[in-house]
Amino acid sequence: MAAPLELSCWGGGWGLPSVHSESLVVMAYAKFSGAPLKVNVIDNTWRGSRGDVPILTTEDNIVSQPAKILNFLRKQKYNADYELSAKQGADTLAYIALIEEKLLPAVLHTFWVESDNYFTVTKPWFASRIPFPLSLILPGRMSKGALNRILLTRGEPPLYHLREVEAQIYRDAKECLNLLSNRLGTSQFFFGDTPSTLDAYVFGFLAPLYKVRFPKVQLQEHLKQLSNLCRFCDDILNSYFRLSLGDG
Amino acid sequence: MSKETVTRINSNYQQYRVSDGAAEPWPENATLYQQLKGEQILLSDNAASLAVQAFLQMCNLPIKVVCRANAEYMSPSGKVPFIHVGNQVVSELGPIVQFVKAKGHSLSDGLDEVQKAEMKAYMELVNNMLLTAELYLQWCDEATVGEITHARYGSPYPWPLNHILAYQKQWEVKRKMKAIGWGNKTLDQVLEDVDQCCQALSQRLGTQPYFFNKQPTELDALVFGHLYTILTTQLTNDELSEKVKNYSNLLAFCRRIEQHYFEDRGKGSSSIRSS
Repeated sequence: MAAPLELSCWGGGWGLPSVHSESLVVMAYAKFSGAPLKVNVIDNTWRGSRGDVPILTTEDNIVSQPAKILNFLRKQKYNADYELSAKQGADTLAYIALIEEKLLPAVLHTFWVESDNYFTVTKPWFASRIPFPLSLILPGRMSKGALNRILLTRGEPPLYHLREVEAQIYRDAKECLNLLSNRLGTSQFFFGDTPSTLDAYVFGFLAPLYKVRFPKVQLQEHLKQLSNLCRFCDDILNSYFRLSLGDG
Repeated sequence: MSKETVTRINSNYQQYRVSDGAAEPWPENATLYQQLKGEQILLSDNAASLAVQAFLQMCNLPIKVVCRANAEYMSPSGKVPFIHVGNQVVSELGPIVQFVKAKGHSLSDGLDEVQKAEMKAYMELVNNMLLTAELYLQWCDEATVGEITHARYGSPYPWPLNHILAYQKQWEVKRKMKAIGWGNKTLDQVLEDVDQCCQALSQRLGTQPYFFNKQPTELDALVFGHLYTILTTQLTNDELSEKVKNYSNLLAFCRRIEQHYFEDRGKGSSSIRSS
């Protein structure tokens, strides 16, 4: 616990500590569990890697991918799920699977595939944080990766064309948002009064969708109608991330 | 105000999606198509088919299982199983559940909104972890691919088509695994994920007979399909089925559904009979 924990991740904007969902999940979990993280925001110097962000570095370990980072933090005794029952732990896994299957494709599409959004917002934002000449290549590669993921997991025949897949993934995402809203109800967090892993995941995926200003906003509009989810995001931002809003 | 708008939007979508076929009752000659049971069908497809059969049995809807070598190609979405009801063809558990609901049969009507959300979440967990692990084991583990999958997948076709199709399918599955981040996983990590998933299911089931206490739902059908297939399929080693066997309430759950919905209906002691 004495070793410094450093997190490399994408930076923030629009009032968020990070606009990248996976980075945000890790940051939120660290705040909830009290892990002292030193956050290294990726900027356009050549320092640090941009590959599998977010990446956690300690003295003798390098861990990537949110699920593995959270596991690592738990092993270091930073556990936000301490008070959950076995059933609640099982529910956490199930809801995370729901988010990854139903919500993630539409979030990826909104950020990386929808051309208005990608060319006016996402690409300039990321390109400004990557050194030249990588800034010409990396955003394009991330966009292709997102499109690939959507088509390979959803675009099976007869939905060959992206247009038809789009309709389906947005329908699924809206249904997922409704389900999350129903499950949250009027509670502060998903399991009682203290936030846990599931809250970190929901916050990580919802907050960028909620806050980033996009030209094409159909999913954002739907989210804004679900007032308890918006209140959930705002509460976490105000309670846990207020200090870093100044340099967002 | 916003919640009503959302509900209205939802019901509009549902009406649009299941507009046809709703009026006719369930016919006697409904059929379910899957690949050949003995030589061709793979673990993941067998699990999916069994899940649909279990679901239909739970709804008390008669279905005849027909095995065809080209079932995968006959299916409208490329996935098995699919059902042929009247003049409609529907594939995969999700759409089949919707279709059956449009005909007036549903297992999850008694659940409230929060329970429905939980049910959908757990179904995604099974798809996300169990199904992906099955696909990984079948197509990305070299030992299993060499000994079992390749031979079974290509068995109805003459040389060289059997090799070509098997390689093509393997390439497709590997590409998908890479896209979702499973490309670099080792077999041990995959088995650990299976264990985690089974633990979550076991904890959720607890001491209840079914996941939502007294009545089975489509979640029970899906879990039964996968777990039963894992337990009864002979693979190169027993590691996968051992993971499931660690949880006694899951074993009891499978036994209960098998007894109640398959053996009791006079279908014979080896559970599913097909033609």
